[in-house]
Amino acid sequence: MDRLIYLYGLAQTEEAASQPLPPLKGFDDTGDLYTVPIGKLTAIVCSLDAKEYAEEIIKDRINNDMEWLQEKAFHHHETVMKLAKMYTLIPLKFCTLYKNEDSLKAAVQLNEGKMLDTFAFITGNEEWNVKIYCEDEQLKKEVSENNPTIEAKRAEISQLPRGKQFFEKKKLDKVIASELQEEKNKVSEHIHSRLSEFAVRGNVKRTWSSEVTGRQEEMTWNGVYLISKSKVEDFLKQIQQYEKDMKEKGWQFQASGPWPAYHFSSFS
Amino acid sequence: MQPASQTNGKINLDPDNAEHGLAQLVLTVIELLRQIVERHAIRRVEGGTLTDEQIEDLGEALMNLEEKMEELKEIFGLDADDLNIDLGPLGSLL
Repeated sequence: MDRLIYLYGLAQTEEAASQPLPPLKGFDDTGDLYTVPIGKLTAIVCSLDAKEYAEEIIKDRINNDMEWLQEKAFHHHETVMKLAKMYTLIPLKFCTLYKNEDSLKAAVQLNEGKMLDTFAFITGNEEWNVKIYCEDEQLKKEVSENNPTIEAKRAEISQLPRGKQFFEKKKLDKVIASELQEEKNKVSEHIHSRLSEFAVRGNVKRTWSSEVTGRQEEMTWNGVYLISKSKVEDFLKQIQQYEKDMKEKGWQFQASGPWPAYHFSSFS
Repeated sequence: MQPASQTNGKINLDPDNAEHGLAQLVLTVIELLRQIVERHAIRRVEGGTLTDEQIEDLGEALMNLEEKMEELKEIFGLDADDLNIDLGPLGSLL
């Protein structure tokens, strides 16, 4: 009976050989994780029953079995986190499966050069995520009160007859809303470029809707940064400083990490 | 009356509280229509084909409508988010 190979991540063989893998339960909660050295790279995997974890079955469960998905996604995340604490790791996406050890080896060998470059890039660095939130009301007030053009327009409107005022106010609201958006982008971009100075690389991710975040404030920025370990403290201090300085104006910051280098390594 | 804010963009039609759910549903529809009318009116005004008097009448009517809507929301303990139904994959109504 064929066994599938579930790939969690790749480490460098030298590092993996010096630190044996502790016992970690695999994806099916029965087998243990083990390593497969492939030249300079070592794959960290577990094996799965080919029938039970066939592609269409997994697809179906991902789409229809929330509980299963939650449990397994959590398992994947936890395991990759543990591995990333032990080794410099190229983390793999949830449910990366190979038909057998040979196909895994072939895939790793094919990408070896790229993977070695990635290791050179991420070694000694940590991935951190920074989310910036902004409470609209406060900033809106500031934008509309400190903007001379808007102020002048408002004075002009108050002289108009009631009915006309309505339309002009609506127009002005639109202007304020777009000014607000612009201001939020400007501030976030400025912070991002400042934070990127600490980083080897800073990337911008899509912001999440409030349905996902469960917060009232809108997420205005979602950035990931690959930072040299020696600079992480300064990076976090800078964020704390922003937090302190900008809290009054309705801005909030959420830094999290270190994460496995999901955003700075791709294996394909 | 219970505030509807815990409904999270979903209409709450539980049997013991049906009238409140119904009020929310009706107001949601009215609010949608009101906004459509308003947008249409703004386009007409910007189109420049209306006389000053017509603009004035239209503006006043819409303003009154908006105020009335605020009052109704107040009466039924609803806020703007409660009238913005979650249409699932289509996003929010308003």
